[in-house]
Amino acid sequence: MGRRFGPYGGAYVPETLVPALEELDRAWQSSRHDRAFRTELDRMSRTLGGRPTPLYFARNLTRRAGGAEIWLKREDLVHGGAHKFNNALGQGLLARRMGKPRLIAETGAGQHGVATAMIGAALGLETEVYMGEVDMERQRPNVDRMRLLGAKVHPVRTGSRTLKDAINAALRDWIANVRTTHYLLGSAVGPHPFPSLVADFQGVIGREIRRQSVRSFGRLPDLAVACVGGGSNAIGTFHPLLHTKVAFLGVEAGGSRSGGVGAASLSRGKPGILHGSFSYVLQDRDGQVADTESISAGLDYPGVGPEHAWLHDRGRARYIAVRDRDALRAFHWLAEEEGILPALEPSHAIFAAVGEARTRPSSDRIVVTLSGRGDKDLGVVLGASG
Amino acid sequence: MRLGSALRTDRTDGPLLVPYVLVDRRRRAHLRPLVAALRAGGANALELGFPFSDPIADGPVLEAASGRAIAAGTTWGDLLDAVRVSSRILPTAVMTYANPVWSHGLSRAAAELHDAGASGLIIPDLSLEESAPWRHATRAAGLDLVLLAAPGVELERVRRIARESRGFLYLVSRYGTTGAGRAQGSAELAPLVRAARAGNPTLPVLVGFGVRDRSTANAARATGADGVIVGTALEEKIATGTPHAQISRWVRTLSGRPALHGGFE
Repeated sequence: MGRRFGPYGGAYVPETLVPALEELDRAWQSSRHDRAFRTELDRMSRTLGGRPTPLYFARNLTRRAGGAEIWLKREDLVHGGAHKFNNALGQGLLARRMGKPRLIAETGAGQHGVATAMIGAALGLETEVYMGEVDMERQRPNVDRMRLLGAKVHPVRTGSRTLKDAINAALRDWIANVRTTHYLLGSAVGPHPFPSLVADFQGVIGREIRRQSVRSFGRLPDLAVACVGGGSNAIGTFHPLLHTKVAFLGVEAGGSRSGGVGAASLSRGKPGILHGSFSYVLQDRDGQVADTESISAGLDYPGVGPEHAWLHDRGRARYIAVRDRDALRAFHWLAEEEGILPALEPSHAIFAAVGEARTRPSSDRIVVTLSGRGDKDLGVVLGASG
Repeated sequence: MRLGSALRTDRTDGPLLVPYVLVDRRRRAHLRPLVAALRAGGANALELGFPFSDPIADGPVLEAASGRAIAAGTTWGDLLDAVRVSSRILPTAVMTYANPVWSHGLSRAAAELHDAGASGLIIPDLSLEESAPWRHATRAAGLDLVLLAAPGVELERVRRIARESRGFLYLVSRYGTTGAGRAQGSAELAPLVRAARAGNPTLPVLVGFGVRDRSTANAARATGADGVIVGTALEEKIATGTPHAQISRWVRTLSGRPALHGGFE
């Protein structure tokens, strides 16, 4: 797989990291054709992760929307409560293959940190997680879960004290400890080969959708919808369906203020270089990266995966921004109509999918990736409606 | 004068010393006397840092200094102003991350820096693979693009980096970010210096990261390098308001040259 998606991607990193990125690329490439590795990945996905996840027809939500059928890809049912497990498992197995005894990770909403802590425990790898102080406050239950799972959680107090700064801290740790440590990056961002290998491990979502939609309604969906922060659940949903006629809608976080940038890198940013790759970045005139603002910690990131930037420019996928209050409305719709508490991240996608369903005939099928469950967000949701 | 020719000329007189100073709009008035003091202390060139919001190669001291400079409203225009001041006193290379330069357009940024008087550009998050368009744009503008090498990098790659680097080769002394922390030993760094020489025999090699006093500077030179770069330790002195005469004397202790008698004026 190449280093670039059109002009996007690459590896803008200090030379210190180049040997580790090359080693990771080699380990990943060789694992792709290694039957034993793939068998182990598949076995643990099923027996530890609970895959495959179901494709669920949201009958009541469909009735409420009035239009196309809405189906949910239930990544909220994966072990740990989010799609993050898929990537953490794959990279954890790669770390073991490379003989790296220590994992580090960044986390925004805490879901990737929890997934990494689980995999670290299961594979016997020491695990340390960097998390912005603001995010630790708003996603407290996940901080407790990581600690109970044996991971050390480092609060990050620099910059905006959110996901972007957690990635900076993790990169600095990696530069210092690169010989013994694998940086288990949680999204389809960062330097090559991360965007491609994360898309590979998250591609299980789209591969299952392909199979399950044919089984459930006899064909592929007309539209696939997923939320986009860094964009890992979205690229996992889209990538295996790229060469089909399925349309794609990526949903970014619009934030609380009208006219604000929120965290919508593709909708409101411009091309730039952040965290090792060339993609869309929210930034000022001098290239200083902007502080973002979103109700959802997992989407609160000023960059986006480079493959999304390319899909955006080619018009192969459409990207829109959904505001905080609309994501909250969608959270309540899904809770009341389907008895499912979604995470705030995919609540953005649910809102967009309902809007799409209304404009489409009832014969259309929309699949939304429900990337995580909402237990972690109860405090935020109750606070917002109180 | 181009950065490389200035350093090649100077190294015949003794070890090279290149201090790093971060541009901060609030310190505008202090820049001229500071650079003069650095020159009096024996500095051969200057690295002028432009702050970036996400400085992943920097430790806590320079990260915090960058954050403060950005919060104070430091802009690209301030950088160009600072280059105009410093480059009259010392050959000046600008050090910043890829995005601030990219966001101005490579060719335009390189031309603006050159027109302001800069002679080099250093981008710590630019790997060899991504450097080609940057090398072309800087060469067209008459700027030296300084590339970096680091421990753990294969010797053949260090040779290639040295071949493509202009001005000097920036050898990172260790696994880690700028600031406090121990450099790798000479046994690990000396082969990198030799590989750089094999790739580009006339290119000066400077060691940076973790140089903070006479003994760390001597250790860095013991690798066979032509000199050292000092950043974080200088930033700490500037931030605490150390008088320029004192900074000048301190720089002299790092330079590996005899002490000056009397004041730097």
